[in-house]
Amino acid sequence: MNSNSNDVVAARRRALAEALRQGEPVVVSPTGEVAKKEDVQDTGMATIQVPNGKLA
Amino acid sequence: MAYYWYQNDPELYKAEVMAMRKYFPSFQINQLQDGSGRLYWRGKVQPTGEGGMVWDLMLIYKNDHPHASEGEYGGSVQILPIQPRLKDIAQKMMPILEQTYGSYENCARRGFGLGLPHIYRNNFGRNEEYFICTADPKYFKAGQNRSTSAASALSWACKWIMLCEMWLNGEISDDVALEGNY
Repeated sequence: MNSNSNDVVAARRRALAEALRQGEPVVVSPTGEVAKKEDVQDTGMATIQVPNGKLA
Repeated sequence: MAYYWYQNDPELYKAEVMAMRKYFPSFQINQLQDGSGRLYWRGKVQPTGEGGMVWDLMLIYKNDHPHASEGEYGGSVQILPIQPRLKDIAQKMMPILEQTYGSYENCARRGFGLGLPHIYRNNFGRNEEYFICTADPKYFKAGQNRSTSAASALSWACKWIMLCEMWLNGEISDDVALEGNY
């Protein structure tokens, strides 16, 4: 993986972590990809919302 | 009464299969060949999307599914990463953590006794393995009308993986990783 794609992945992770910290709804796609609900809601993809709550 | 949850409650078994087929259709269900009768799902996820790490996971039902008791982190669906193996990552991280905190005892006091945040160990076959510690028991649903399914446990695990990758890459602090307040 080159540094550009590393940066893209890191930026995506930061945005998701921030969304989680803000309590925004986050979903998981069939490939396991974590995404903000608002980013995938128009795709028609079956996604599951990550339950709220702290990691143990 | 049958010993296995999927014999006692075929409707719950159907619901579990339907949820996984809907949300994670690439995962396959099977039975452990260790005589325990436990069912498991196996498949791959890529929580940070294209370019991120691919994790090969097993989701193993305990025979008392659905169930969660005090100190039983992750409830009755255990999540075991096959590749990468958590024990291998944790063993690489432990010397770094010991250097940071001065001793193993200090690491353990901080919550890094196993080398990674939010994991637990358990016997699996002949080995001791490290599992993803997903849900605090108080968030695990195990009521008569609603239970935490393998699908929701897996969604939780994907969140854990994303945060774990961030911590391993130094993108979040030890405190944030330990807090787990996501």
